[in-house]
Amino acid sequence: MEASNDLIALAGNPNAGKTTLFNALTGSIEKVGNYPGVTVSVKQGGMRSAHGKALDLIDLPGCYSLEGGSPDQQIARDVLRGDNAKIPKPDLVVCVLDASNLERHLQIALEIIELEIPVVVALNMVDLAEKAGLRLDPVKLSEELGVPVVPIQADKGKGLVELKQSLGHPFPATPEIHWETGDAESRRAFGLQVADLAARRPEAHTSTVSDKLDRILLHPVLGWVCFIGIMFTLFWSIFSFAGIPMGWIESLQDWTTGIIEGAMAEGDLRDLITQGIIGGVGSVVIFLPQILLLFFFIGLMESSGYMSRAAFLMDGFMSRVGLSGKAFLPLLSSYACAIPGVMATRTIDSPKERLVTIFVAPWMSCSARLPVYLLLVPMLLGGSEGGAKQALIFLSIYVLGTLTAFVVARILRGKLGPDEVPTHFLLELPPYRFPQWKYIFRHVLDRGWAFLKNAGTVILGIMILLWAATTYPKLDSDDPAEVLSHTIVGRISHVIEPIVKPMGFDGRTGTAILTSFAAREVFVGSMAQLFHVDEADEDSETRNSIRDQLAKETWPDGRKMFSPAAVISLLIFYIYALQCLPTTAVVARETGSWKWGIGQFIFMTVFAGVASLIVYQLAKLFGLA
Amino acid sequence: MPPSLVQDLESDSLLSLTQAQVGCDFQIRRLEGPGCDQLRNLGFCESIQVRKLANGRNLICSVCGTRVALSSDLADQVKVEPTDS
Repeated sequence: MEASNDLIALAGNPNAGKTTLFNALTGSIEKVGNYPGVTVSVKQGGMRSAHGKALDLIDLPGCYSLEGGSPDQQIARDVLRGDNAKIPKPDLVVCVLDASNLERHLQIALEIIELEIPVVVALNMVDLAEKAGLRLDPVKLSEELGVPVVPIQADKGKGLVELKQSLGHPFPATPEIHWETGDAESRRAFGLQVADLAARRPEAHTSTVSDKLDRILLHPVLGWVCFIGIMFTLFWSIFSFAGIPMGWIESLQDWTTGIIEGAMAEGDLRDLITQGIIGGVGSVVIFLPQILLLFFFIGLMESSGYMSRAAFLMDGFMSRVGLSGKAFLPLLSSYACAIPGVMATRTIDSPKERLVTIFVAPWMSCSARLPVYLLLVPMLLGGSEGGAKQALIFLSIYVLGTLTAFVVARILRGKLGPDEVPTHFLLELPPYRFPQWKYIFRHVLDRGWAFLKNAGTVILGIMILLWAATTYPKLDSDDPAEVLSHTIVGRISHVIEPIVKPMGFDGRTGTAILTSFAAREVFVGSMAQLFHVDEADEDSETRNSIRDQLAKETWPDGRKMFSPAAVISLLIFYIYALQCLPTTAVVARETGSWKWGIGQFIFMTVFAGVASLIVYQLAKLFGLA
Repeated sequence: MPPSLVQDLESDSLLSLTQAQVGCDFQIRRLEGPGCDQLRNLGFCESIQVRKLANGRNLICSVCGTRVALSSDLADQVKVEPTDS
């Protein structure tokens, strides 16, 4: 942010459309949604006024009032009052108000006017308000408030030119205040009086499309049928429909490997490219379609307004584990990635509930675990992918992680005790809207690009190191197992093996687990490299060939190495282990203490290890080993 | 009559939002309890009209044109009376 530019802040109630306006003014693609609390941190960007003057724009998290509230709302309050150490006090505030609900949205505008900062009111979603039968009078509103009022439709880009014109110098003067400053009662009464003049409501209550949809989607029985149906469609798409584009990526990999093998002479460099880079990175990239689909569905639920309904439905269930329906939004996001999930907990009012939600969020199986599950689950079913049995096992994996999270949440919530200030469930159910496809697709592509970037940097780096560690030092022998045991990895495996053997793994699997502490999805590539001892196998980069290879592996006494017991034990480890350093860093930041970040990492890793050990030993007793 | 007694008598004649009938319009007369600020932030203010849309562990009502879900604990703190219509 350049210090010389004027700083404009977008402020208002949650779900007033601030981020949509921010994106429209700056050309950014910040995440937008149709539920309160999508923006949990300050977003910054640049724009130009109608006269071409450069302006800095910040998008503040929504808040109902400048008093009290959750952490994201405190951020907005501090910035507006000039108490934020990193962001200067704004030169002008654009109060974004939902035209359909002026009675409520005006309150924050009046509080901001009291701060004596120049204010412009952006009256958003005027089309929806008029459709609902409201008679809006922006001129009257401007007269009563004493500040410029610009009607806009941020999602359609209407009214933006007029808004930009109102941001030019000189900024509007701070108006005369017609209520008692600092007195909430007096402010509220004034707000209601102004709303009554500037936005007349129709006398009779009209039943909207949202009302009709809610009669079904929030019905005690039908609502649950729809919820389960939506969740089923989401997971079915990820595990079944995604197979089509995954096949394309697989073919592309085979084709590229074929070309390189045809063009290059045999040697270390060709092995590095085909096995290390294409095989290793490719085994991770193949899961891109599933990750995109997961983010697409979550984006769809957020954008349409269904996410709040899901939170409403889940509240009864969540209360049994000491959480509220508000914890459902972060937990569902954590199925895609724990990082946005942990950040989304900022919308939870109760500090203790928030802490518990952060603590258990990584147990919602994130998209990075998918590659591991997809590799391992078919091994329990004789190697074949797809089918009802596989879907059932996948469902069990997700249910197991979620149920364990709930049990731990219940225990932890009990230990932390009640909140000092009791909080109650209170959630706005926004009207249903058509999804903002542009932002959904851009957000999905953004997440996909982030995944590919990770595959091209961290995962590529680990794959190259791992390839080197499984190749050198070389041994002149025809026995591939002997060659591997001579390499760096072979030696590390010998050290690790006694530790991981009681869990059912050999040293190479232990090494693959170790490498995946940097990023879980590395496991598949690591296994591909560590067990790729048969050079005659041309399709080693595909999951099937990894599985074929693993199925052939035996212990020195001739027992199958990847018995059902070992595979289940490995799955259990991945369900529970927290192998994601960025999550630990975000948890430390959000809780304000590394104690929680590191504590969570140690707890989950030890829990995973012990659970894996118990499961393997029990399975052995039942003869599954 | 002392004002506190008037208030008590008036309170007795009011319904809480939990007791109110689904599908009817009410006027909010008073907010009583620790959740008042939370309620006012979402538009539950004295003299505002509210329509109760659904009962349950969490109630649904429409206030200022917005649907809001609130726990029955909170709804107990909203005292309403039926509108004339």
